[in-house]
Amino acid sequence: MTATRWFPESMPVPAVTADTLGWWEAAAEHRLVVQACSGCGRTRHPPSPMCPACRGRSSSWKEVPGTGSIYTFTVVHQAFLPDLAERVPYVVAVVDLDEGGGARLVTNIVDAAPAEVVIGGRVGVVWEDMGPELAVPRARLLAGNG
Amino acid sequence: MTGPACLVGVGETPYAKWGGLGGTTEYDLALRAIEAAVADAGLTLDQVDGLASFAADRNDAVFVAADLGLPELRHATMSWLPGGGGACAAVGNAAVAVEARQAEVVVVYRSLCQGQFRRFGRGPGPRRADGRPPGLRRAASPLDAQAAFTMPFGMLSPPITYAMVMQRHMHRFGTTSEHMGNVAVRFRDNAARNPRAVLGGTALTLADHQASRMVAEPLHLFDCCMENDGACAVVVTTSARAADCAKGAVEILASAQGAAGAYGHGQYVNVYVDDDLYTSGGSQVVARDLWARAGIGPGEVDAAMIYDHFTGLVLLQLEDYGFCGRGEGGPFFAETELPMNTHGGSLSEAYIHGLNHVVEGVRQLRGESTTPGPGAETCLVTSAAGVPSSGLVLGRRR
Repeated sequence: MTATRWFPESMPVPAVTADTLGWWEAAAEHRLVVQACSGCGRTRHPPSPMCPACRGRSSSWKEVPGTGSIYTFTVVHQAFLPDLAERVPYVVAVVDLDEGGGARLVTNIVDAAPAEVVIGGRVGVVWEDMGPELAVPRARLLAGNG
Repeated sequence: MTGPACLVGVGETPYAKWGGLGGTTEYDLALRAIEAAVADAGLTLDQVDGLASFAADRNDAVFVAADLGLPELRHATMSWLPGGGGACAAVGNAAVAVEARQAEVVVVYRSLCQGQFRRFGRGPGPRRADGRPPGLRRAASPLDAQAAFTMPFGMLSPPITYAMVMQRHMHRFGTTSEHMGNVAVRFRDNAARNPRAVLGGTALTLADHQASRMVAEPLHLFDCCMENDGACAVVVTTSARAADCAKGAVEILASAQGAAGAYGHGQYVNVYVDDDLYTSGGSQVVARDLWARAGIGPGEVDAAMIYDHFTGLVLLQLEDYGFCGRGEGGPFFAETELPMNTHGGSLSEAYIHGLNHVVEGVRQLRGESTTPGPGAETCLVTSAAGVPSSGLVLGRRR
């Protein structure tokens, strides 16, 4: 089976530190996670070494369902990388994650006409395998929107 | 004579479109702008003992000091505020330095020839060229690691970031594309009178704005500032020395810098903050401190130079700085007669990361602006919103 591809291979490669590696390892297994503080339970994304709420350093990866609501978005018309020239227009969105405790995810709405995308629209994550060890969460509109 | 630190000189090189000053290095432009500002003050380079900049300016102060032949360098600071957020902070740092007698004459400068370097808004560093499949790479900095959560999603350039802020502001408050277009049109009209303005010879109507191509919805091309080559500089000195300078001194009545702590977390992409902060310019902390220190409020300034990387962010700053209520920036701008960005701003004069807004604030208060505000005695200058920022309140010395 050929994996579905939405973006070119030449998209920027994620840079990781020891603080963020766990998130990308989970992504490679198609698990969407947010960082949860072991002390106060507050969730945060992107990952960071210290909880800004209680300043605790202990945390775990909390898996979330991968559904959520569009908080805001833009339809990008200008190709800021040469390989995106044939991909525009594409949608960048910020999604309020269900069970994310307020965490938001920057992602793309794929397989949808830009005009279908609205603030508040319900979405679910789909994974794009960019390489053997790299998967990136995109999102599709869920049935029942508007 | 005691009093606040003063701005006593301003200067710039010619401004040109991106890549337009290829015959001169960015570094030499910095030196030329500094020379011009010092000459404008009626001072000599032998009297300069401090240098300050921002936005990770490539033209190191220690090189500048050596190559300008400064007898001594006693103050050299770089603001941490991201990009254009630091212009007013660099001036504020210079003011603090001279008031504390750490230095006597500090020049703040910014030189920007994007045509000679990697362009802003062209995406991040290493992309694969080695034929290996995409994987992870080691981050060079915390910012690099955070960009991993935006860049792979094609969130590659500031217009995309701020398109999403404006989309949310429109959703929540009813702001329109025409509200943003009014900003572009008015600043272009100001530029028409300014011989330094790169787009001074090109008229712009609201219809032109509406017809311009989309960059990232809802931002049209003319909602976005230019990219330019050029440099400018301002001279800060003590109140006492200002009395001896060639032109009227402009007092730095207040300076402020910073933001809510959480706003720095998403340095260029504050998508993780609460909705009130997300739909603002993030300048609330600066505004509060600035007005408190100046002892005046937004209703009492005679002119304003508002950082205008994007039209919509001007509206958000008018809200942050209290010129109008939350969500009212669009209708307020359409009605106000406050002289604003009388040089044309980054949208129409030049994009020198907003240090040219400080230059224009000084000219406005000296009566040298090509779009003078009648009897202007006080002026607000702001630096980039949407990132931790800074601001100044300037006053004409009576």
